[in-house]
Amino acid sequence: MESLKLKKITSVWVITVLILFVVSIILGILMRLNQGEVISQSPVTFYSNMTTHGLTMIGIWFVAGMAAVNYLMQRYVKTSYTVNVIALVFTVVGVLMLWTSTFIGKFHAAWTFLYPLPFKEIGSATWATLLFLASLTVLGIGWLIWSISLMTQILKKYSIAQAFAWQHFKKNPKVETPPFILISMITLIGVIACLLAAVVLLVLFYAEYFSKGNFVNDALLMKNLTYFFGHTIANEMLYLGLAVIYELFSEVSGRPKWKTTWYVALAWNFTLIFVLTAFFHHLYMDFVQPEGFQIIGQLASYLASLPAAGVTVFSVFIAVYRTKIKWSLTNLLFFIGIAGWVIGGLGAVIDSTISNNIVLHNTLWVPAHFHTYNAMGNVLFSLGFFYWFSTQFSENSKVSKFTTSTLTLLLIGGIGFLLAFYFGGADSIPRRYSSYPADFPMAAPMANIGAAFATVYLIAILIFFFNISKRCLKILFSPS
Amino acid sequence: MQQQPILVLFLALAGITTIVFTYIFVSSKKAAQSEKGMSNPLKKRFWFSLILFVVLGIFTTATIPDSPYYLFADETPAKVVHVAAKQFAFVLSDKAIDPTNPSGENIELPAEELVEFRVTSLDVNHGFAIYDKSNRLITQVQAMPGYVNRLRYKFKEPGQYDILCLEYCGMAHQAMRASFIVK
Amino acid sequence: MFKNIIFTIITIGFCIKVNAQTVSAEVKEERNIYDKIYDAPLNVVGEQQRSLQELYSEKPLLLALVFTRCSGVCSPFLLQLKENLQFRTKDNSFHVLVLSFDPRDSIKDMNLLAKKFDLENNKQWIFAVTDSITRLNQSISFDPIWDSTINQYDHDALLVGINSEGYITKKLIGIRQRHETDLLIASVNNVFSPTYRLPSKNLLFSCFNYDPKTGKNKLGLGLIFIALPAVLTLLMLIFISYFVKHKRPEIEETL
Repeated sequence: MESLKLKKITSVWVITVLILFVVSIILGILMRLNQGEVISQSPVTFYSNMTTHGLTMIGIWFVAGMAAVNYLMQRYVKTSYTVNVIALVFTVVGVLMLWTSTFIGKFHAAWTFLYPLPFKEIGSATWATLLFLASLTVLGIGWLIWSISLMTQILKKYSIAQAFAWQHFKKNPKVETPPFILISMITLIGVIACLLAAVVLLVLFYAEYFSKGNFVNDALLMKNLTYFFGHTIANEMLYLGLAVIYELFSEVSGRPKWKTTWYVALAWNFTLIFVLTAFFHHLYMDFVQPEGFQIIGQLASYLASLPAAGVTVFSVFIAVYRTKIKWSLTNLLFFIGIAGWVIGGLGAVIDSTISNNIVLHNTLWVPAHFHTYNAMGNVLFSLGFFYWFSTQFSENSKVSKFTTSTLTLLLIGGIGFLLAFYFGGADSIPRRYSSYPADFPMAAPMANIGAAFATVYLIAILIFFFNISKRCLKILFSPS
Repeated sequence: MQQQPILVLFLALAGITTIVFTYIFVSSKKAAQSEKGMSNPLKKRFWFSLILFVVLGIFTTATIPDSPYYLFADETPAKVVHVAAKQFAFVLSDKAIDPTNPSGENIELPAEELVEFRVTSLDVNHGFAIYDKSNRLITQVQAMPGYVNRLRYKFKEPGQYDILCLEYCGMAHQAMRASFIVK
Repeated sequence: MFKNIIFTIITIGFCIKVNAQTVSAEVKEERNIYDKIYDAPLNVVGEQQRSLQELYSEKPLLLALVFTRCSGVCSPFLLQLKENLQFRTKDNSFHVLVLSFDPRDSIKDMNLLAKKFDLENNKQWIFAVTDSITRLNQSISFDPIWDSTINQYDHDALLVGINSEGYITKKLIGIRQRHETDLLIASVNNVFSPTYRLPSKNLLFSCFNYDPKTGKNKLGLGLIFIALPAVLTLLMLIFISYFVKHKRPEIEETL
């Protein structure tokens, strides 16, 4: 009974995420078309769409990872169905509030809503700022309850030391912490920390809003908090996807389950520390930040990539290299996703080098690299899970010709639209411009090329969407 | 011209990654049922991680001294320019800018000599990015309200340089710009 | 070198006098930055004629402009400066040049002034007069106005930092705290701080306060807010772990 309820709510999550994903992609394509001067939106419309696109994407792929982790965690510990429902309700309500503030109220401070921009917007409704902050509060509370609940469930079975797999540092550990539990735990801690950063940030915003100017915030503090929250959540949602891969990759490939070893434990424990300090790389161009922090930012950004590459990528290589495995769409998506994640990571490491950042910061290079590991990495991790989830209750899970061509569309669309960003970034074209000044003759054509390829990507996603949703609806309405 | 090598480096690394992943995928497709997979995976993983660690270490030591906070630090600038960014314009002046009544003037800067920009913002966060004649981003700093950031730079070539805002600041962000002449 | 170049934030929170000053003082402070100061010939107490260039080439200068008959700001200004520098008497990186801008002042008057402040034997302090004060004033935008009704100059208390190449690196107007004098000394020694802070309503939540003397950052309250989420998470982890402990199965049994 319990698992049936979980199946149904997970189906709802999958369908919700996919619907919101399609809408957000369309918003993204519209933005590129506006930059390409094919359509003409007012700057306020463009920027409010940009705000919706950014926050919705971050939100849905975070909850997609959480829903997947929640579903798989049931294998090890009991999870709370009620909390899962609460998270779903809060997410839907939060997104609706967010969309009201942006689509109707024209709130357009971007998903980073960098202080003090939300208070100094021109062209948005006066109520929009408060509704936007309230929508974030709703989302934040819902997700905080969810993450704390999952963490508590893990701690009911494993002690702190076991959850962090510290016993694996010794020889012959008595208890084995499954890699899935270890990564989930590490990730949940990071998620809770960044959501709490959002709470602190929102409290400071509210304090200034309701004090009517008597209380004024420090811009440097607010920027640090913004990226503590923003960078970390974007990073952690990738790790949620990785937790799923550690659990499922070997399983769907018909190989023995991956085990936690001392180096896996060590790598992920280190990751927790590096991920929480890597956000300093968002403030390189703020010379007000002490230099020590800037260097920590560069080191942490580098080091965060080490365990991930050394352990995760290598684990996948070992599992696949010259080994006859059962390829299905699920592990194929995981495999391509990891490649996309690595390539996006390379773009990120290049950008997180301070002396490069000075010519790349806030150019199209930034959306280039984060779209790489999201659109071609994290999305594929979650799609892989969605597909696996939707097919595990039906027989047919072989790779058909049709799915191969869908995958090809996804790859062509993805690579094309990303290259338009990378070339734009190397051409010094600024990001977040509703239209480009005449100084950049290549910017508009490039945006249109990006939009065209993104449409191909969208077609592939739509095919997956119908495919997966159809099966999920069946699960949702099945009597048993 | 820092961007071109960066792009080439990235494309090369991305290409190598793609080749490695494809090779590994193909090796699995072609593998016979009896094949044992990778030999000595632990050892290989160790060497891979170690090499990656060393490469990143070298990269760190090589790049950190080039960070903008250290550039031209022990020289006296020949000229100081005050910059106050506001929605949606830059005020540039030889003299300090009065925040209650900001007013600027046309700026001419000497070539081959050290110039210091003292950049602040009168409202929200802005970016202060300098583009050369061929519209290439050459240096930048953020303009944060309440703080003054000091950016030092030596312009090599005379001509007109443009300033664009590179931190999203609201509805006319894309139109926020200024320029100055280097002689 | 690198560690000296760390960012700076000027703490003005406790310095009410500065806060009370008008914006125009801040604007004035930014005039002539990185201009070369006029090389005035000086009559130095206890020495012969020397040029300003000889002095600043020897060591960077903190130039204080006063006049001996002043019944206003000059005395408290010098007193505060002396106070600010009292812990840096062994610091060889600069000289303090007290220069009269009043043509009536003689070298004798300046000697008396040095005695009054008990500085005549202090090697760090130099007292002097010059006959080219107008041109010197011009080069630093200093314009005392003679008020004949009170027989006094109406003037700012001005401290100018001059590095060893004769460039003006920083100016301070008014009676200022030690922290700011330290920043001035750092600037004449060409220690670059990539940033400084403007006076603001909220200094409570600033993240760091730069101490130019040690070149280190002191932690501000704002930093606690940045660390708070991580600390709270850790505490939450420990608390939850403690409270659900009884539900945990025995380790041996799970094996």
